[in-house]
Amino acid sequence: MTRLPRSLERVLAWTVPREQREPIAGDLIEEHSLRLRGGGFAARPRAYAGLWWSALQLAGSFAWERLRRDRPLPPIAGESARRSSLWDMLAHDAAFGVRMLRRQPAFAAIAIAVLALGIGANTAMFGFVNAVLWRPLPFPRADRIVSLGEQRPHENRWFGPIAPADFFDWRRDSRSFSAMAASMVPPSGAFNLTGAGEPERVRAIQVTPAFLTVLGIVPALGRDFRPDEETDGRQRVALLSDGLWRRRFGADPAIVGRTVEFDSHTFEVIGVLPARFWWPTRPDAVVPLALTNHDRALRGAHFLEAVARVGDGVSIDQAREELRVLSARLSQDYPAVNSGHAANLRPLRDAFVGDVRQALLVLLGAVAFVLLIACANVATLQLARAAGRHKELSIRRAVGASRLRVVQQLMTESLVIALVGGAAGLLVAAGALALMRGVLPTQFAGLPGISAVGLDGRAVAAAFGFSTITALVFGIVPALASSDAGLAATLTEETRGSTASAAAQRWRAALVVTELALSLVLLSSAALLLVSFQRLINVPLGFQPAQLTTADLRLPGARYDEHARTVAFVDALFARVRVAPGVQHAAATTALPLVGGDSRLDLVIEHRAPSPGAVPMRADARLVSTDYFATLGIPLVRGRFFTEHDTESSAKVAILNAAAVRRYWPGEDPLGRRISLGADDDWRGVVGVVGDTHNEGLDVDAEPAAYLPQRQLFENLGSAFERTMTIVIRSSNDTAANASIIRSALSSVDPQLPTGPVRKMEEVIGDSIAPRRLNLVVVVALTFMALVLTGAGLYGVMSYIVAQRTREIGVRMALGASRRQVLGMMFGQALRVMAAGIGIGVAGALALTRSMSSLLFGVNAGDPLIYVAVSVLLAAVGLAAVAVPASRATRIDPLAALRN
Amino acid sequence: MTDLSNLGEFEHVVLLAVLHLSDEAYAVAVRDEIESRTGRRVSRGSVYVTLDRLETKGYLKSRLGDPTAVRGGRAKRYYALRPRAVAALQESRRTLLQMWRGADDRLEGAR
Repeated sequence: MTRLPRSLERVLAWTVPREQREPIAGDLIEEHSLRLRGGGFAARPRAYAGLWWSALQLAGSFAWERLRRDRPLPPIAGESARRSSLWDMLAHDAAFGVRMLRRQPAFAAIAIAVLALGIGANTAMFGFVNAVLWRPLPFPRADRIVSLGEQRPHENRWFGPIAPADFFDWRRDSRSFSAMAASMVPPSGAFNLTGAGEPERVRAIQVTPAFLTVLGIVPALGRDFRPDEETDGRQRVALLSDGLWRRRFGADPAIVGRTVEFDSHTFEVIGVLPARFWWPTRPDAVVPLALTNHDRALRGAHFLEAVARVGDGVSIDQAREELRVLSARLSQDYPAVNSGHAANLRPLRDAFVGDVRQALLVLLGAVAFVLLIACANVATLQLARAAGRHKELSIRRAVGASRLRVVQQLMTESLVIALVGGAAGLLVAAGALALMRGVLPTQFAGLPGISAVGLDGRAVAAAFGFSTITALVFGIVPALASSDAGLAATLTEETRGSTASAAAQRWRAALVVTELALSLVLLSSAALLLVSFQRLINVPLGFQPAQLTTADLRLPGARYDEHARTVAFVDALFARVRVAPGVQHAAATTALPLVGGDSRLDLVIEHRAPSPGAVPMRADARLVSTDYFATLGIPLVRGRFFTEHDTESSAKVAILNAAAVRRYWPGEDPLGRRISLGADDDWRGVVGVVGDTHNEGLDVDAEPAAYLPQRQLFENLGSAFERTMTIVIRSSNDTAANASIIRSALSSVDPQLPTGPVRKMEEVIGDSIAPRRLNLVVVVALTFMALVLTGAGLYGVMSYIVAQRTREIGVRMALGASRRQVLGMMFGQALRVMAAGIGIGVAGALALTRSMSSLLFGVNAGDPLIYVAVSVLLAAVGLAAVAVPASRATRIDPLAALRN
Repeated sequence: MTDLSNLGEFEHVVLLAVLHLSDEAYAVAVRDEIESRTGRRVSRGSVYVTLDRLETKGYLKSRLGDPTAVRGGRAKRYYALRPRAVAALQESRRTLLQMWRGADDRLEGAR
């Protein structure tokens, strides 16, 4: 053989370097000859197979060598050109984009500002939602921790506080949990810390000993509670927060074993909590919850919160099912107080976040809509701008740029705009977050992660992500639409009088329709929230809030352990307050309207046997001082108010609210009947009926309530119940004067009493609706942004159309069209776009606003009146935006238009 | 400074084969030399590739011989060591011998 088979030559040519081919071919031929030598005919196939095998081995080795060696070394010529040209191209496109933007500063400024608003609002909202809803809770394996609650369907409570006896039964009998603990915020939420410096109110929480075990928290210093410390009498030990330890005790490492005074009781400090310990009420002191035997046995009074850690190998559903079985048994065992009650559990975060989750998600949706509108807006701007670059793009295509190449260039320009917009958006977000932190209602202070809300790495990454996605969203339509230019048509087309391609026109209309539709959805949400809020603040309060000042008070049990002392304190206090100038009335109550709290007890009516299986009757128990109704301005419906003569020594009496009479004495007169609350034999005669007030919030209907005179001992809600009260005074003074009246009266009666915050009643009402107000303000602000953007978009498109059709309109007017007809034509075109946008928007709003039903009050999410109103409003904004360009069209000079 | 660290084990072996073959060092002979001395099977491709690479790295130079009939009129490519390769081999021998001094017994003992 003198030469290799041609196919084999070709294989070598692909892989072996040129200068090696000749000697290698020679070697292969030589080897082949050796194999054939003396083998005769039979050796030939083997020899050929050997030849091929050798050649393929060689080819493989060289191919692999090339692959392997080329990577770290400079790439071979062809590849290197391609690779570096991609980067070159991107850099070139970006630089070109920047140049184009600098040449059109107005466009650049508007586009960047619009995007900065959209991206900034989204980044801020993302930062907020991320901190509250998505960042992990600060507990190890927090997904195993659940919050427990008692479900009482006939009271419309799905997750209420728990009765002590029920909790202790659950804790004793359940097997699904590795630990379970109850907690309770002390009635005034705080202890008065005395001794060692200025007295100070410190937030506190009372917990059963396993509380920290449930949370997976170990004290940083000292020890955890011991099981026996929930026994009444052994509970005088305390864990301090890291903050309190540093602030008050200078981070003294020898703090363990020292004593502190809380509410005149001496507590031994047994430890300090780690700095990362967090709980919604932000306690500075954690002390054992040691209920008296009387209180431990309460099954009709609900005031405990509870948490539990689900045991290993147990699913949350199994745990829930076990609790359901346990509570069903308790319902059977105690039908009088527990029928229909059931244990319920939910993830810890749900307990912390509650209703706020839905509000936040609605806001997140609203803010995303604003970004979409901003995108559509910038896309229409881009389209208009691209139309001006028609020639440039066509020439690029003509000299060989592929469509992909042109799209790539336009997309890179969009990315430049979006990234600059995103960077500016970070500033907007920082501002928005600072603003949000400033106006947060107090109810939000207990949200997880709320103190960490800010621009962290995630938020910055989110802003970058929003920018990139935004560039895609607003860049792709103009890029595709304008790269699709009919090449020849554009190049041969006369510049003057040219109209944009039909495709670009359609895209532009579609974008405006999108903006209108998105705006309408936002507008409907804002309108629904606005109407809800308006209905809410018009709910009759049932009392006169003007001129009322309130102050929370807690009498320490150590010194006010007898009922008579509490009565004497209140009498002495009011004797001083009433004589102060300007004060008309003064009163005390255990539960101010709209503040919430759960003091419901079973209601027994004398001579009325409970029908078996019937829902137990319940009423909210409120202890009030004699002058309470007059002070608040709650009207008397029938009977009488309490008087000075309703004392411990006189017959026990009660006053019902109208809701109780409606529910339990329909068509009857309760006056003169006797009732007992929380017990079978604590009889009190009904002496009056008063008007309803809302206990839990304006959006919750008044529930049955029974008022009891403070002077008559009532212990069925625990012995501490009567010592926690709110003082209310009605006076013509301003709040500061009232505050000093209350403080000086308090300090003259009991100088050691801590003074809580003094607030106007209007503030109490305002606080109760603050979350709704915040929702409303944010949504209205976003809607306003959306309306402005949409109006601007519509204005831009109509201006563009007028500019494009100048010659056509000129011809029409030259042929006799009146100004009126031109105006009609322009408005007609705008109206068609608006009708489409509003139509799609209404359909979308009907589908989407249903998800906000829990945020609404007194209004149906599908209320047709709302949709008519917002459609009209949006149409008006649209027409106003169109009016200027349309009137410009009527002023076109036919001669000038034709000449140009 | 010689650049021993630039040489892989197989490259080392190929250089030594070229040294042994002196004027007769072409790919087929290099492969036979390695196989006969080490008893290892060596893939043909790796020999060519390694010779080529060593030439690129500057350790080997090559020349084309005269075309012969048994090779279909194609020349052989003969390889020879450049001074750099000689220095590298000397350096490697010295280093290895120094490292081996007294290590044989230990190696036996470690078995």
